[in-house]
Amino acid sequence: MINKRIIFKILGSLLNIEAAFMALCLVVSLCCGEDDMIPLAITVGITVAVALTLRLLGRGATNVLSRRDAYLLVTIVWIAFAAFGSLPFLLGGYISNVSDAFFEAMSGLTTTGATTIDHVEGMPHGVLLWRSLTQWIGGLGIVFFTIAVLPSFVGGSIKVFAAEATGPVQSKLQPRLTMSAKALWGVYLALTIGCALCFFLFGMSPFDAVNYSMTITATGGFATHDASTGYFNNAAIDYTAILFMFLSGISFAMLYAALFKGRIRHLLKNAEFRFYTAIALISSAIITAFLLYYNNYSLSDAIRVSLFQVVSFLTTTGMFNEDAAQWHHITWVVLSLCMFFGGCAGSTAGGFKCARGVIALKIMRNEILHRLHPKAILPVKVNDSTINSSGQITLIAFLMVYFLLCFIAYFIMILVGVDSTNSFTIALSCASNVGPTLGLEIGPTMSWSILPMGVKWILSALMLMGRLEIFTVLVIFTPAFWRNN
Amino acid sequence: MKVIIVGADAIGAHLAELFSKIKQNIIIIDEDEAKLERISSACDLLTIQSSPSSLIKTFKEAGVKNADLLISVKKDENLNLNLCVLAKAMGAKKTVARVENSEFTQPQFIEAFKQAGVSSIIYPDDLAAEDIISGLKMSWVRQRWDVYGGALTMLGIKLRENCTILGRPLKEVSTPDAPYHIVAIKRGTSTIIPKGDDMLLPEDYLYFMTTKDFIPEMKRLVGKEDYPEVKNVIIVGGGSTAERVVNRLPKGMTAKIFETNFARCEELNRMVDTSRVMVINADGRSVANLLEENVKQTQALVAVTGNAEANILTCMTAHELGVRKTVAMIENMDYMSIAGNADIGTIINKQALTASYIYQLLLNGDVRNIRDLLMVKADIAEFKACEGSRVTTKRVRDLGLPDSVELGGLVRNGVGMLVNGNTQIEAGDDVVVFCHDTNISRIEKIFI
Repeated sequence: MINKRIIFKILGSLLNIEAAFMALCLVVSLCCGEDDMIPLAITVGITVAVALTLRLLGRGATNVLSRRDAYLLVTIVWIAFAAFGSLPFLLGGYISNVSDAFFEAMSGLTTTGATTIDHVEGMPHGVLLWRSLTQWIGGLGIVFFTIAVLPSFVGGSIKVFAAEATGPVQSKLQPRLTMSAKALWGVYLALTIGCALCFFLFGMSPFDAVNYSMTITATGGFATHDASTGYFNNAAIDYTAILFMFLSGISFAMLYAALFKGRIRHLLKNAEFRFYTAIALISSAIITAFLLYYNNYSLSDAIRVSLFQVVSFLTTTGMFNEDAAQWHHITWVVLSLCMFFGGCAGSTAGGFKCARGVIALKIMRNEILHRLHPKAILPVKVNDSTINSSGQITLIAFLMVYFLLCFIAYFIMILVGVDSTNSFTIALSCASNVGPTLGLEIGPTMSWSILPMGVKWILSALMLMGRLEIFTVLVIFTPAFWRNN
Repeated sequence: MKVIIVGADAIGAHLAELFSKIKQNIIIIDEDEAKLERISSACDLLTIQSSPSSLIKTFKEAGVKNADLLISVKKDENLNLNLCVLAKAMGAKKTVARVENSEFTQPQFIEAFKQAGVSSIIYPDDLAAEDIISGLKMSWVRQRWDVYGGALTMLGIKLRENCTILGRPLKEVSTPDAPYHIVAIKRGTSTIIPKGDDMLLPEDYLYFMTTKDFIPEMKRLVGKEDYPEVKNVIIVGGGSTAERVVNRLPKGMTAKIFETNFARCEELNRMVDTSRVMVINADGRSVANLLEENVKQTQALVAVTGNAEANILTCMTAHELGVRKTVAMIENMDYMSIAGNADIGTIINKQALTASYIYQLLLNGDVRNIRDLLMVKADIAEFKACEGSRVTTKRVRDLGLPDSVELGGLVRNGVGMLVNGNTQIEAGDDVVVFCHDTNISRIEKIFI
């Protein structure tokens, strides 16, 4: 049966960590002397109080985490983080209702980046920092973060890691999970600091540099300006953003090997990386051509904005430096495809993942070859390792569930009267944790505040499922999960 | 010379037979009494029955400390390697271990193995694969043997009606200046060492030496110009030989492997380059399956199942279906001549290949290369002529060599040339000797 105490205990510890991050925002707020001091202080207070109560409830827990506990724990942790994370918005009155506030926090943690705030620039610094921080924590995973900092408390459980990691292929870098977690967080930190320094050099204020670098390396997409990076209108900043978005969409394990062990050729030969790069380049080329032909852009501008939008959608970041709503509709199809595929497995990006894309394409190719050679045994090989048939079935099932969830969300939105193109891209955007939507009613640069309340809850759930790779969340809603045997 | 062979399976038995024929002191060790009995009834050697757990004790009994060569050819490669290490430590001069893993034969580890006590490592499947590949590369040739990295080549081919040099006495077609030197003819079941008056007939199996530059001309001369280059090959049987073949597959060639065991198919897929090799889970002996996989557009078929009869029949079927080049692996020596007379392009025998390879180690260091020609019960060897040896004293025709011995060609300073009666062999030449039914160590004497 579910080990409630250990879940309480771990949840309590994790909420303490969330409170610590909030306290950091409170410090910033105190320095700036703005009106978000009191809501932040109250939030910290509530969070710590709840955390301590949970620790009390979880006293004397046996340190055994079963597979079910791991799934339940991860899901509850993410929901709890979103719930407490929404308090600063609510208490400060920056967002007026619970649905919007929870949606905002969930959108942050899952690195989606869709916002319900119409006017971001009016927000105080402390709350803005909190928005960016939610994305940065959510990037590699909340529990995973804790494994790096506090190794003892999940007992190095690979189950938790598996429940929260992005993508199908998990390769441990080090013999011990804690070491792996530290290595990956090292890469993440290095990327974030590098990105912030570059932004600062190219003229951003330190506060903006920190915020943008956090949301870019998390492939989240929250911005501190309504016009996102378009606000700066600076090619150097755009290209820096493109570079770091692209890097954050690569498997961190591969990045670690490339950066710290000099295995760059290993990276360049990787099938998933090649697929990822190919999508980015081909999509950019197509969009550049459309922009040159239909929208009279200059070549350098066309390349810059198409590359930016493509990488932003592909890595599921969702930043923008141009309003893609003004572009030819075919470009929307290309961008939607990018949204669907997403980044590489083991990165901070969402989506279907390029690794799965490579495998799915090979499965399709094999099915076609099978028509010609009915008795051939055709393997699905990715980087010299063979994906066995159970792995292939899992992948196809994942794809089916992914589309089914998108379709249900799409259907509901159509029912409540959202524009059809918007409904489709919103569903895809949430399931892939991208952020912007393409369509006639809501453009990629606009907030989602006009969506009905109910839809926002559905989308919050969809974002969470998208981030936790669907099955982790879905399994909890099956009767078998709660049965004793 | 004292040779100890551990393991009396096919390879061990073949080696024992070969060595005892050339009057060496052979001791063969195995745990299976019946196998030993079978060998000792056929050959003149000593057998020792020993359980696998008391091999070291048996080694002492057999007198490993003054053995010249210890050959370990049991199924277990690790046991073979260990036995070699121990035998060397106990005093054996040379040791040979048979392995089943290409990682052990990598050149960078040869020295490490030597230091540990394993003088030589053989991998029979790899030897077979090497031969199969060379057969596929030159599809019109049945057997091929390169001397000195190809400076001289010995080719075995089957003559057909369209050969341009049929029906005329050899003294007319094969003059001393001709770019080829015919060393042996197999007609029916008899082997002929040709003289000037002999004639070539259709269906003759011809062995001749030639140099690299004349290979294209030879192809025209023997009427094999219509043989297509092999691009696609079907391999029947997905055992370790097939695996080695596809791992050595030359550039531009693609292969399909027929294997009936599903688990083995998946295993093969993990080990081969699947962009060029397709594994098919079907019986390659069935014509329907072959046709379904487009056998008619395939230039070559290699049958390497464990069953010699099946291999022969599959090759004959493929030939009927229009495949020009067929290769069959045959473990059973008794089928050799039937297979040769049937329309099978190349015959591969792992035991013979392995035995030839080990045979070299037994002879003096001057023998570079030796090969059992299978079809004609003859050996072909490469000797280095020493300073003052008998062979360098006179012209070849005055040497008084026995009829069963032919000098095919020689390599002098890296250049290959053919030998005729007028040739004077010089010290330092590498001479290719063809000997039919003769103990090769007797020939060795005239080169020392």
